[in-house]
Amino acid sequence: MRQGEVAPKAPWIGNPQGGVTAPAPIILPDPSTRFARTSGRLGVLAVDHPMAQWLEFLCELSQAQHDAADMIDVTGPDADDVATATDAGMPPLAADGHERDIVWREALTLVLRHFDRLPEVPDLVASVIDSLNEVDGDTLEYLANDFLSGNVAPEDAGRAVFIAAALQVYFTKLAATLDESQVHLLPERGLCPCCGSTPVAGVITASGSTPGVRYLYCSLCSTAWNHVRAVCITCGQSAHLSLKSVEGENGAVQVETCDDCHTYAKMLYVAKDPRLDPYADDLASLGLDLMVAEVGWLRHAPNPLLLA
Amino acid sequence: MDLSRRGFIKLTGAGLAVSSMGALGFGSAGTALAASVRPFKLTAATETRNTCTYCSVACGILIYSQGDRAKNVKSSVIHIEGDPDHPVNRGTLCPKGAGLLDIVRAPGRLTVPKYRAAGATEWKEVSWDFALDRIATLMKQDRDANFIAKNGAGATVNRWNTTGMLAASAASNEAAYVTFKWARALGMVTFDNQARV
Repeated sequence: MRQGEVAPKAPWIGNPQGGVTAPAPIILPDPSTRFARTSGRLGVLAVDHPMAQWLEFLCELSQAQHDAADMIDVTGPDADDVATATDAGMPPLAADGHERDIVWREALTLVLRHFDRLPEVPDLVASVIDSLNEVDGDTLEYLANDFLSGNVAPEDAGRAVFIAAALQVYFTKLAATLDESQVHLLPERGLCPCCGSTPVAGVITASGSTPGVRYLYCSLCSTAWNHVRAVCITCGQSAHLSLKSVEGENGAVQVETCDDCHTYAKMLYVAKDPRLDPYADDLASLGLDLMVAEVGWLRHAPNPLLLA
Repeated sequence: MDLSRRGFIKLTGAGLAVSSMGALGFGSAGTALAASVRPFKLTAATETRNTCTYCSVACGILIYSQGDRAKNVKSSVIHIEGDPDHPVNRGTLCPKGAGLLDIVRAPGRLTVPKYRAAGATEWKEVSWDFALDRIATLMKQDRDANFIAKNGAGATVNRWNTTGMLAASAASNEAAYVTFKWARALGMVTFDNQARV
């Protein structure tokens, strides 16, 4: 409109915020894509990777998780129980307090059976699978409790991978039954609002209605929750944060180190690589962990498929 | 020692042998990985929250600088983007804000106080002490000459109308409060703590 002209009389149609909105605080997982995506990405990352065999194994494991997630039926928690927990500022599926349905053992059986169908399984993997097939339900429950409470005996490290995989399937299906509007971020922003677990990595989005915001991905139930950027996810400080990446790489995978608590967490930048998957890329970028550990930082928490 | 899915962990090449990876027979993959990363180095960048310098909207920005502020290392700003967590702008920036990096790096950017004496043609670099003393002297002269203690009706007004002040858009609430108190205490009437769009 030129100056001096009469303003149009028609009502203005448009979004007064221009489409700029606050990010969704919580994104519940979609079990139909969660494990398939990780498996597909691991398959891509395994090619010419120094840990190709390990990543190929994890690729199969994720595929097994996908099949198991497809087959089992999980009943969600009672709405009143969810409300009681969230009102008290507690995660409704708190991994240590939640009473597991034995259907998680069905998931474990399905995951293990996937490896029977493979033409070739490494000897140690096969013997770990055999030992899990042999033990009774009670032992499995003990193993699951040990894993969830963080007391895995070193000799159970191999079995814990499959226990963790089955519990990921179970908790992911369980989280998917929740209502996003009924779950709230915890006061401890670094922990999952659904199950209270630590995240595997953070993802800095590049598309959608709120590009550039950070979501942390739960290591157990696959829930993603929003966390302010440029703030340490472990101690909440921001004064001595630094982003580190491997020189010469595209910077899609970086670590955020904090000199206040001397820990680091991985951050994945989707703008640098749109194919990123937090679970797969975290496992495949173990080299970066080694480099950062060598300079003296501790990882905020392990990936459940790689306890050390 | 028991393995835990929670709590801090130090991942080392040697540690991988006794990890889940080693327990399943993939220990050699860990060794290969440790060897493969040896030739590489880490680069560091720092992400800092700040406020756009331009206007009263005060959009949040994230400033990336090279280096991790270690001693003896000069850091340089490499990238500036809208802060997606800032409630005012949610990561968006106007064209002026989007060009902030060019302001930071502008060759003509003023980084030291400069003085051009009356009648002189050249700007000369001076010390902060000189600049502040000079400003204070001129302010006092102007205030002494033009201060209005009482108006026509004889009421006490304590006005200083001949000098005004413009403060920063990035001032925090507290800084804005102190600036306001300071300017008003001098009797300054023309005062704004934010530039306008």
